[in-house]
Amino acid sequence: MLLDTENTSATPSRSFVPHVEYMLVAALIAVTAALLFAMGIFSHAAAETSEGKPQHFAGYVRPNDMGTGALLFPSKEPGSFVEAPRLATDVVIDVNGPIMRTRVTQRFQNPSKGWVEGTYVFPLPQNSAVDTLRMQIGDRFIEGQIKAREEARQVYEQAKAEGKKTALLEQQRPNIFTNQVANIGPGETIVVQIEYQSSVHQSGGEFSLRFPMVVAPRYNPDPIVQTVDLDPNSGFAVNDPVPNRDKITAPVLNPAENAKINPVTLTVNLNAGFPIGAVTSPFHQTDIQSVDDMARRISLKSGSVPADKDFELDWTAAAGMTPHAGLFRETRDGKTYLLGFVTPPTDDATTIGAPAKREVIFVIDNSGSMAGPSIEQARDSLALAISKLRPEDRFNVIRFDDTMSVHFPSLVAATPDKREDAIAFVRGLTADGGTEMLPALEAALRTQGPVADGALRQVVFLTDGAIGNEEQLFTEISSNRGDARVFTVGIGSAPNTHFMTKAAEIGRGTFTLIGSEDQVAARMGELFDKLENPAMTDIAVTFDGANAQDITPNPMPDLYRGEPVVLTAQLDGTSAAGKLQIVGKTGSQPWRIEMDVAKASEGTGIAKLWARRKIEDIEANAYAFNDKAWLDKEIEKVALANHLVARVTSLVAVDVTPSRPAGEPVADTRLPLNLPEGWDFEKVFGEQPQQAVPEDQRKAELQRTEEQAMLVAGRMAAAPTARAASLIADAGTQVDLPQTATQADRYIQVGLMLLAFAVMAATTFSLWRWQLRGLVMEARDRVR
Amino acid sequence: MSDKHSIDGRAGFLARLSALETVVLAGILLVALAGLMLVGKGFYMKAKSELSQVLLKRSFEAQLHGESDVKPWPWADFSTEAEITAPRIGQTAVVLSGASGEALAFGPARLANTPAPGEPGTSVIAAHRDTHFRWLKDVKPGDLLVITRKDGKNLTFRAGASRIARWDKSGINANAPGRNLVLATCWPFEATTQGPLRYIVNAELVTDAPLPKLSALERSVQQAVNSF
Repeated sequence: MLLDTENTSATPSRSFVPHVEYMLVAALIAVTAALLFAMGIFSHAAAETSEGKPQHFAGYVRPNDMGTGALLFPSKEPGSFVEAPRLATDVVIDVNGPIMRTRVTQRFQNPSKGWVEGTYVFPLPQNSAVDTLRMQIGDRFIEGQIKAREEARQVYEQAKAEGKKTALLEQQRPNIFTNQVANIGPGETIVVQIEYQSSVHQSGGEFSLRFPMVVAPRYNPDPIVQTVDLDPNSGFAVNDPVPNRDKITAPVLNPAENAKINPVTLTVNLNAGFPIGAVTSPFHQTDIQSVDDMARRISLKSGSVPADKDFELDWTAAAGMTPHAGLFRETRDGKTYLLGFVTPPTDDATTIGAPAKREVIFVIDNSGSMAGPSIEQARDSLALAISKLRPEDRFNVIRFDDTMSVHFPSLVAATPDKREDAIAFVRGLTADGGTEMLPALEAALRTQGPVADGALRQVVFLTDGAIGNEEQLFTEISSNRGDARVFTVGIGSAPNTHFMTKAAEIGRGTFTLIGSEDQVAARMGELFDKLENPAMTDIAVTFDGANAQDITPNPMPDLYRGEPVVLTAQLDGTSAAGKLQIVGKTGSQPWRIEMDVAKASEGTGIAKLWARRKIEDIEANAYAFNDKAWLDKEIEKVALANHLVARVTSLVAVDVTPSRPAGEPVADTRLPLNLPEGWDFEKVFGEQPQQAVPEDQRKAELQRTEEQAMLVAGRMAAAPTARAASLIADAGTQVDLPQTATQADRYIQVGLMLLAFAVMAATTFSLWRWQLRGLVMEARDRVR
Repeated sequence: MSDKHSIDGRAGFLARLSALETVVLAGILLVALAGLMLVGKGFYMKAKSELSQVLLKRSFEAQLHGESDVKPWPWADFSTEAEITAPRIGQTAVVLSGASGEALAFGPARLANTPAPGEPGTSVIAAHRDTHFRWLKDVKPGDLLVITRKDGKNLTFRAGASRIARWDKSGINANAPGRNLVLATCWPFEATTQGPLRYIVNAELVTDAPLPKLSALERSVQQAVNSF
C-alpha cells in the first residue's frame, strides 16, 4: 500500500529527484578526486624532500673514485681528498708475445705552502705484478726496495718522523695499489714512476690490452649541488647563506681544460710474436707505425683528449696465422719458468652441435637476513635461471633458513610445467628465520642421486652468506663435491664475498655478485652463458721428462667459450727438455695436446708472472690452512724472491739525507742535470717545445695552472697529520648504510586518509538520503 | 517510519536503499576497511619494534650473566650484541648483530662489516628513524653515549659532529684509526617515504670518562636549577 503511495507521490517530483541524485554523485566524485589529488601532491612533496642532494663538494675526491693514477692530499673535509694537479703523464707499454710490461711516469705538484704527505692511488688490471717504484721529489731520486709489509711500514714511519723524503708502495686490494709519499716540500714537483707486468688478454683469437685512464664524472663542469647545513641544536637543515657556493668553485677541473694542462703521452711497442693483422684502438685516436710484419709502434695522437674511457688496444693475427698455442721460457736463478697457452677448438661440431645436458640444483637462502630487497633480487634471479633451462636439462630447487625443504623429491626434467611449478614455489618464498646452510648444502651435494652419463652437475647457490661456520662449509664442498661445479651468486648490498668467492673456487665454479635489482638481468645473463657453454672441463697439465714443481693455476679452472688455457710453471734446472701435456674434455670427448719444451721461445718476465699467480693460488687455498702465519710466510717468500708487491710485502724508498727545512726556497727542479742511468723521465719533463704556442695562449694556460693549483691548495688540510695520511692509505673500503626507514608512518598516514575519506563519503551519503526523504515527504504532503 | 519501509523482500536497513546506493555504501565500507588495515599494519610494525625490545633486553641480560649464544627467540636470525644508552636524552636500546634484512625491524643493529664498538676502527650502528633511532636528531655534539657490550664492558663515547650523506657515499671507513662509533639512520626525519639519504652521528671513545650516569644526573639537576 504504502509502496504505491510512494510511487504515486514520487511521480510529480521524478524529474527533479534524478537531478539531485546526479548532482550528489558528481559532488562525491569531485570530493574523491580532490582527496586523491591532495594525496598525490603530498606524496610528491615527501619524495622531493627525501631526494635532496647530500653534502657534496666539487673537487673533493675519495680514493675509491680514482679511475687512473692520481696523487691525493688529505683535505679539510674528513674522509675526502683533493687531487694534486697532474702536470704530465707518460705511459710506455712493451708487449712481447703474451707478456706486457707497463711503465707509467707521472708528474705532480704540491700546490700548498706546507710540507705534506700525499698518497698516490692507482688502479691496475687484475693480476698485475708491480715490481718497481721510482720517485723524484724536488731534486732527489729514490728507488723502492722490497720488504715485508710491517717492516716496510716501520722504515717509512721512522724516515717520515726524521723529516726524510720517503715513499711506501702497498697493495690494498689485488687491483688497487697506494703509494704514500712523505715530506713533500711546498711547491715541489713529484715524479712517480711505477712498472708492472701483466699478461695480454686473449679471447676468441683477439688479443687486447687495457690501460686505466678514466677521468671520472666528478669533473662535472657545472654541477648543481645543494649544500645542506645542519643547525647543531635542532638537527634540521637551514638555508645555505650562499645558495650557489659550489657553482663558484666548480669548473676547475673540466675535462677539456684538464687535458691541456695534463698532457698524456702513450706509446705501445707491440711485438706480437706472429704476423699482425688489424690493430685497433676503439676509444682513442692513434698513430700506428709499422716496424715489420710482427711489430708495430702505436702512439696516442697528439692533442687527443683523454676521454672517459680506458685506453684499449686490440690486435689480431694476419688471416690464417692465428696462433692456437704458444710456449715461452725464461731461465732465472737456476730455474726454468714456462708460460704456455692453448686455445681449445671451439668451432668443433662436437661442442656446438650437442650442448651438454645439465643437471642444475638451485639452492636459495630465505633466512631473515635476506629480508627486503635481497629476497626480491634472489627470487627474480632464480626465476630467471629456471625459465632459461631447456627441456632436456634436469633440475631441483632447495630452500633453507633454519629449516630447509627440497622442492622435488629428486631431479626432474625441466619441462614447462615443472618449471612453472618451481617458479611459483620460488615466487612464494618469504625471508624469515635463521641461517643453517650446512644441511641445504649437504642435500644439494649428496642426496640428488648420481650424475647421469655425459651430464654436467651444477649447483647454483643464492645467498648473502651471513654465516659463521665457513670452514665447515668449505670442507663439505671440497670433500663431497664429486663432479659437481658450485656457482655462488651473492645477493644484497653487503654479501659475504669472502665466503662466496672461496666457495666457488673450491667448487670450481664462479662467483657472481648482484648488488641491486637492475643488475639481475645482466649479471645472471653472464652466468648463464658460462653455465650453458662450458668449452672444456677436467683440464690437467703434466710434464713428461721434466720435473715440474709448481704449475699454476692449480687446479685448472673450466674453460668457457673462446678462452685459452694459460698456464705458468716452474721447472727444476736450466735444461729445456721434456714435453708439456694438456688433457681435457670438450663435452664428453677427451682432448689432448703436447708441446715440446725445448722448442719454446725465450721470453722475459715469465718468472714474475709465475710468482704473481703462485701468490694467488696460495691465497685461494688459504681456507685449507689453519696456520695463517705460515701462509703469510709462504707468500712473503715468493714475493720477496721476485721483488713483487703483495698483500704481505711493500716497496719502501727512503732518501738518505734529510730534506731541507721548510723555510728555504725551493730551487727550480724541472730539468734535473744528472738523471741516473736507466731512468727515463724526459717524457714528462718535455715542455712541448715542438709546437709554437702563441704567447697569450701560453700565458693563459700558465694562469690556469696557477689558478688550479691555488684552488687545490685552498682545499687541502692545513697541516699533514699522521692520522689523515693513514686514513687515505686504508680508505679503500667504504661502508654502505642500510635502509633505515620503515613504511609504518606512511601506512598510518594513508590509512588515516582513507578513513577520513570514508567518513566524509558516509556523511555525504546520509545527507543525500536525508534530503531524498525530505523530498518524498514534501511530495506526499502536496498530494494530501 | 522505518518499520513501514521494510515491506519488500530485503531486510532492515538495506531495504531502503536503491541499487546505486548499495554500491556506493559498499565502496565506502571497502575504503574504510582498507584504511583500518593500513593503520593497523603501521601500528603493528611500531608495536613489534617496541615489544621485541623487551624480549631482546631479557636475552641480553641473560647474555651478560654468562649464557653464551642465546637467541632472543628460537627462529631469530640474529643475536643481541650490546646495549646503547643516551643518558641525557634518556633513551636506551638493545643492539643486534648484522644490520641486514629483518634485524632492523626489531632493534638497532651493528653492520657486520664493521668492528664491535670499542675495537680499533669505526663501528657502525644503524636503526630506523621512526622507531629506535627517533632520538638521534636530539643527540648534540658533546653528548655522551654509553655502550654495554655483551662481554659486560661499559664504554663511553662522546658524540661529535653530525652530517648527511647518501647511503652509498657515507665516507665511513671501517678501518679508520682510533676507536670510533657511528650512529646512522635515515634522513630527513619527518619524511614518510624511503629515500637515499642518511643522517650520520660520529662519536669517539672516551678513555677514563667520569661515570656517565652521574654526569647525566648532574646535568639534569643543573637544568632544574637553571629553570628556577
